[in-house]
Amino acid sequence: MEKPASLLQVNKLSIRFRHENAWLYAVQDVSFAVERGETLGIVGESGSGKSVSSLAVMRLLPTKQSKIEVDSIYFYGEAAHSWNDEQMRQARGSKMAMIFQEPMTSLNPVLRCGYQVAEAILTHQKTTKKQAKAKVLELFRKVKLPRPEQHFRAYPHQLSGGQKQRVMIAMAIANEPELLIADEPTTALDVTVQKEILLLLKELQQQTGMGMIFISHDLAVIADIADKVAVMHKGKIVESGTVQDVLGNPQHPYTRGLLACRPPLDTRLSRLPVVREFLENKWPGGLPEMLAELNVPQNDRAKAHELLYAQEPVMKVENLRTWFPVQKGFFSREKAYVKAVDDISFEVFPGETLGLVGESGCGKTTLGRSILRLQEPTDGIVSYKGVVVNKLDKKQLRDFCKQLQIVFQDPYSSLNPRIAIGEAIMEPMKVHGLNGNASQRKQKVFELLEQVGLEESHFRRYPHEFSGGQRQRVCIARALAVNPELVICDEPVSALDVSVQAQVLNLLNRLKKEYGFTYIFISHDLSVVRYMSDRILVMNNGKMEELAEADLLYKNPQSDYSKKLIDAIPAKAFK
Amino acid sequence: MSAYIFRRLSYGLLVLIGVATVVFMLFTILPGDPARMMMGQRADQQTVDAIRKDLGLDKPVIVQYMHYLNDISPVSVHNATDFENHWFADKEKYGAYLNILSVGSSKVILKKPYLRQSWQSRRHVSVILAEAFPKTLLLASVSILIAIVLGIVIGSFTAIINHPFINRAVLLITVFGMSLPSFFAAILMAWIFAYLLADYTGLSMFGSLYTVDDFGNGEYLDLKNLILPAITLGIRPLAIVVELTRTSLLDVFSQDYIRTAYAKGLKKRNVVGIHALKNALNPVITAVSGWFASLLAGAVFVEYVFDWKGIGVVIVDALEKYDLPVLMGSVLLIAVILIIINIFVDIIYGVLDPRIRIS
Repeated sequence: MEKPASLLQVNKLSIRFRHENAWLYAVQDVSFAVERGETLGIVGESGSGKSVSSLAVMRLLPTKQSKIEVDSIYFYGEAAHSWNDEQMRQARGSKMAMIFQEPMTSLNPVLRCGYQVAEAILTHQKTTKKQAKAKVLELFRKVKLPRPEQHFRAYPHQLSGGQKQRVMIAMAIANEPELLIADEPTTALDVTVQKEILLLLKELQQQTGMGMIFISHDLAVIADIADKVAVMHKGKIVESGTVQDVLGNPQHPYTRGLLACRPPLDTRLSRLPVVREFLENKWPGGLPEMLAELNVPQNDRAKAHELLYAQEPVMKVENLRTWFPVQKGFFSREKAYVKAVDDISFEVFPGETLGLVGESGCGKTTLGRSILRLQEPTDGIVSYKGVVVNKLDKKQLRDFCKQLQIVFQDPYSSLNPRIAIGEAIMEPMKVHGLNGNASQRKQKVFELLEQVGLEESHFRRYPHEFSGGQRQRVCIARALAVNPELVICDEPVSALDVSVQAQVLNLLNRLKKEYGFTYIFISHDLSVVRYMSDRILVMNNGKMEELAEADLLYKNPQSDYSKKLIDAIPAKAFK
Repeated sequence: MSAYIFRRLSYGLLVLIGVATVVFMLFTILPGDPARMMMGQRADQQTVDAIRKDLGLDKPVIVQYMHYLNDISPVSVHNATDFENHWFADKEKYGAYLNILSVGSSKVILKKPYLRQSWQSRRHVSVILAEAFPKTLLLASVSILIAIVLGIVIGSFTAIINHPFINRAVLLITVFGMSLPSFFAAILMAWIFAYLLADYTGLSMFGSLYTVDDFGNGEYLDLKNLILPAITLGIRPLAIVVELTRTSLLDVFSQDYIRTAYAKGLKKRNVVGIHALKNALNPVITAVSGWFASLLAGAVFVEYVFDWKGIGVVIVDALEKYDLPVLMGSVLLIAVILIIINIFVDIIYGVLDPRIRIS
């Protein structure tokens, strides 16, 4: 039999997982191939089977809960499907390597970074520890870690997310693999860091000529890095081809939906189209028809803004400072400060959405929390409708909190796993004594659930039974439970897939229209902030860089930092 | 790190003073007149009064308390001249001491903490404890060692196998081990291994570290007496270590960094030994240290059943005879042990998990 010449060729891969007593297909009859020096992008939402497929190739799935059926896997002409476990182990990390999504959890927290990389070398090469260390330092320089010697001895928690991902990359390329599988390597990172990591991966690929499988939920990122793309939906590849073909002329409605649901950068839409609408073939004419229906003329927006900014501001933030003291030594009284929020002033007008954008660590979350006094500010004044928030005592503050609510970033950790979601939504009502008695409150929860697109039957369910997008809906319902006027959304969609992101953003905008909310919308993703906001405040290192009308800021950024953020939006060239 | 240890030590000292105070208060408000108890029913009032004066029981409570603190503190203030004075720096009581400062008839000295004398035997409490404590230490250390070594090995293997049937069996056995009352286990062990099977094992039902020779040749070291009490005491910690290691490892196995380790091409034994175990041991250390501390405080039942003359037996004897100084001394010793072990464990945490060091 003639052997295929591809670097990796997977034929008819199916994976089943045990779910209670049945074996359900997670992946069905998936075939793909990667050539040397080429990048294959696999795109799809969570649960589409894209990560599982690549894990199956490296046999990293838990053996007891999964069953893999495959016609053949050829790696460099070798029949990898017939390798025994020991052969596979020797290939892992040396011939084929993998980078994972979460750099925070993918490195062992109790071992030094240098050791973890050196281990990969010592496992597959016959070298001394000293040589391995020299090699690791060289790798650290290659992946552009700023202080290789220091990072060698550091523990993972001492590095930033981007640096950790660089360590992971160093580990993966330590034995110069022929195939690198990158499983959502940038999803957990800031857009600016994402751009750097993508550049680094491309550069490494050019140097070594390795083949790469790049997995992502975001077509825009794929457009930036991949040569070929395979779109996965519900365990099947629905469309594949070169990036130009697939993204330029998408055939499958799912691909169209994925392409369209990212907030567009050149136009304004009244709402984001969602994938389901494409699957239901709502716009047979394709993207142009969708754009024609949802486009918002520039004039409408200008008129609305004229009215909006003629009002009195509802909230004023003046010279707000939140500094965290860092103790230097045990005996020294001298104190250093981390200036998380440093002298920020702005106004919020009723009914507007103020975007707050910046990289992680820039202080945008602290600013949001300082406004609500979840984090006590060091100095400055926050006033809402003439009430100075800083001067309220505990009881007054609690009453006041009814008017201001917050939706947090991580819907996975901001819901108590042991409290049914109905109870969770009811709790703030109970605390504030709203909506009458228990049964009336329950009725109100039912209404809220319906409002955010969930069902009454969800009342008694627990958070783990929901997907990420559904959990964020629950968090939104919880914030709405006390009838707030102003809602702070702290990165509400950062943990979600692009397709789910569109749904949540639409929900937020619909609720805003219905209840007349004012939003402060925090995110690191400028394309999302631009879509949501009337005005945008750009933050960097605790300071305000720029405050401008959203479209104006995007078209004509004043500060270098804003330019850098705009530059980092993926697939700009493509759009 | 050093600042951290220093802070922990100062907290420890505060806790110790608190314990001393509580102990003193408790034993002062206890009913019963020690002088009368020492002399029995037939003592005349004069003797009782003399003893009360000798023990300082005729003084106000607050003075007694100050005196007590002064006695147990390594740095203390004393009267230098007057033999009759209760505060006199008596070499009989305090042993050899070091003068730091003399002012008039008072002086400040550095000494070993004075835990007073037994009301029963008139022996120094510190001597009694110094005799008993090494035996308890040995017993506790051996049992904990058995628990740690066996526990981590068994726990790791059952976690690696992770078979539903074995999991359930281990859970059943460990729950049984944890809930088995120690006095019952002790009697059972003694009955089976030192009575029914005595011919095969050659063990005796009770005995301490030293046995008096039958032929009058004095005492000799008898280590085989350690076997049964050590195993009996080890049962419960062993059960806990097995179960904790197993569940904690299973939890760690599902972590992302374990997948990373496999993706690197590491062998399974390296993944388990280097990457998983170090992460899984924190809860085990917490449990083991707690158990070790409580074993050091005297495994009363087990020591009693096997007649192992450690702290546990000393405490029970002292309670029976209302020997307050011995009791107070024992409680203080136990408090010191607990504090030291806790500080030690905090340091180990830092070594095992670097993330804890900063906070």
